[in-house]
Amino acid sequence: MTNYKLTDQDFRQINLRCLCGFELGWNYERMQGSGYLYTILPQLRKIYGDNTPELKEMMRVHTQFFNTSNFFNTIITGIDLALEEEQGVKAKDAVVGMKAGLMGSFAAIGDSIFGALLPAIFGAIAATLAIKGNPLGLVIWFIAQMGVILFRWKQLPWAYKEGVNLVTKMANKLSAVTDSASLMGIFMVGALVATMVNVKFAWAPTIGSVPLNIQNNLDMIMPRMVPAIIVGLVYWLLGKKGMTSTKAIFLVLILSVLFSALGVLAKG
Amino acid sequence: MSIQWWQILILTLYAGYQVIDEIQFWSSLNTPIFGGLLTGLVMGDMKTGLVIGGSMQLMVLGIGTFGGASKLDANSGTILATAFSVATGMDATQAVSTLAVPVASLMIYMDILGRFTNTFFAHRIDAEVEKMNYKGIERYFVAGILPWSLSRMIPVFLALAFGGGLVAKVVAYLNGPLKWLGDGMSTAGAVLPAVGFAILLRYLPLKKHVSYLFLGFVITALLTTLFGNIQAIGTAVGSVVKNFSGSFNGLSMLAIALIGLALALINYSHASAMIESKGAAAVATAVDAKGEIEDDEL
Repeated sequence: MTNYKLTDQDFRQINLRCLCGFELGWNYERMQGSGYLYTILPQLRKIYGDNTPELKEMMRVHTQFFNTSNFFNTIITGIDLALEEEQGVKAKDAVVGMKAGLMGSFAAIGDSIFGALLPAIFGAIAATLAIKGNPLGLVIWFIAQMGVILFRWKQLPWAYKEGVNLVTKMANKLSAVTDSASLMGIFMVGALVATMVNVKFAWAPTIGSVPLNIQNNLDMIMPRMVPAIIVGLVYWLLGKKGMTSTKAIFLVLILSVLFSALGVLAKG
Repeated sequence: MSIQWWQILILTLYAGYQVIDEIQFWSSLNTPIFGGLLTGLVMGDMKTGLVIGGSMQLMVLGIGTFGGASKLDANSGTILATAFSVATGMDATQAVSTLAVPVASLMIYMDILGRFTNTFFAHRIDAEVEKMNYKGIERYFVAGILPWSLSRMIPVFLALAFGGGLVAKVVAYLNGPLKWLGDGMSTAGAVLPAVGFAILLRYLPLKKHVSYLFLGFVITALLTTLFGNIQAIGTAVGSVVKNFSGSFNGLSMLAIALIGLALALINYSHASAMIESKGAAAVATAVDAKGEIEDDEL
């Protein structure tokens, strides 16, 4: 039992340090380890007191390997501080276990929601408008990201008060949200394939003396079929062993130049 | 037209800022679209910047920093491609594939170097922890800003300051003796978003929601053809009929997104109703999952 209770001012300090500095020390050895210590260092000093052996022990604990989504990391911080404030250095094993246990699952959810889904939806709208020379889509995306920052700001006091309960509650809500957001993401990709891959068949062989307009025939079957086929092929390619996104990008680049030079494809 | 010193200064500073935004705030000022917009404004051609930034954005839609892996630095690529495209008069789509993509992939090595350098500071922090020197811990932690920013600022600065001559030569070749390559690069620039979409689909639960991929594609493909044809008719009629005042816009992507949002909301209410009815079971599995992780720890 320690004597210190976290205040709103502490939450503000942790959030500020987290938002401005959590990943500055990211390195291959312990990833966000030093960042975790940096965000809660003032609070650790208040809980254990300066120059105590307990503080040194906990500082050592908090520089160890840590890596999670930086959109969810303060949930773990909140639960951690509630435990340490209650039990002091005796909570060490529980804290280490909780950090290791939660960081993996939050990393996965955070990456899929904030790394893939939001860019898919807002990036798609912003990019489509940008290519027409209109920066308005970026404004919409910016507003959405401000909402995300607000969410990151609020989760620390929630987690501190509700502890592990919050994780269970959130897991239920998040799975419904993630599922629906992925649905919308997939829908948007479909829409993007139909509008943003502007290539067409340039190859027009003549049969006898009649030129055969392949592109027009394809349009009659299904408009925008060429982009759909290209995306399908790349999707299949990415499933191959040893294929990375960078390799795929260069492969597509080379093939596009080749087919363009042969007169099969053209910018449309 | 050469690039002015103040343009180099602003773009270099932005190159350093954007990576910090990327790892910290994620405010959308770290995206290639903003990079293109800013570079375009600084260089005096916003449209070119938006086109290059938008294309790069589409290419990297699904590429996030997963688990700290280095990714294509689309933003640095966009800065350089936009700056040189405006300065040398290179076609924007061509600049995407000739400049932005190669730069973005070369910058992966700078990212690795930056993250590697930070290991040094992590060891300094360990030493300061032993000394209980709190200011020292914080100083070495904040110093991590240097490897992050400099790994972007130095190459962007060098390229902007000294790369102009080389790029001008490349442009001359692509428009002259190597025109087939130049055209090919333009085509490639138009195809590259397809890679972004495919990567994104790999990260999304495609099997479960594949019907929505078809729905999104077909609705948009039909409407975009329709809108395109009406615009063409409108232009044609406008050139013949004197008092014709109708104006036709292209298909609004926001409208398509709202259809997607409606479908997502319907799915959400179904999914949360399902979870509510299975509430107890879900909580039980969540607790199980936790228990499992704690076992691992022991």
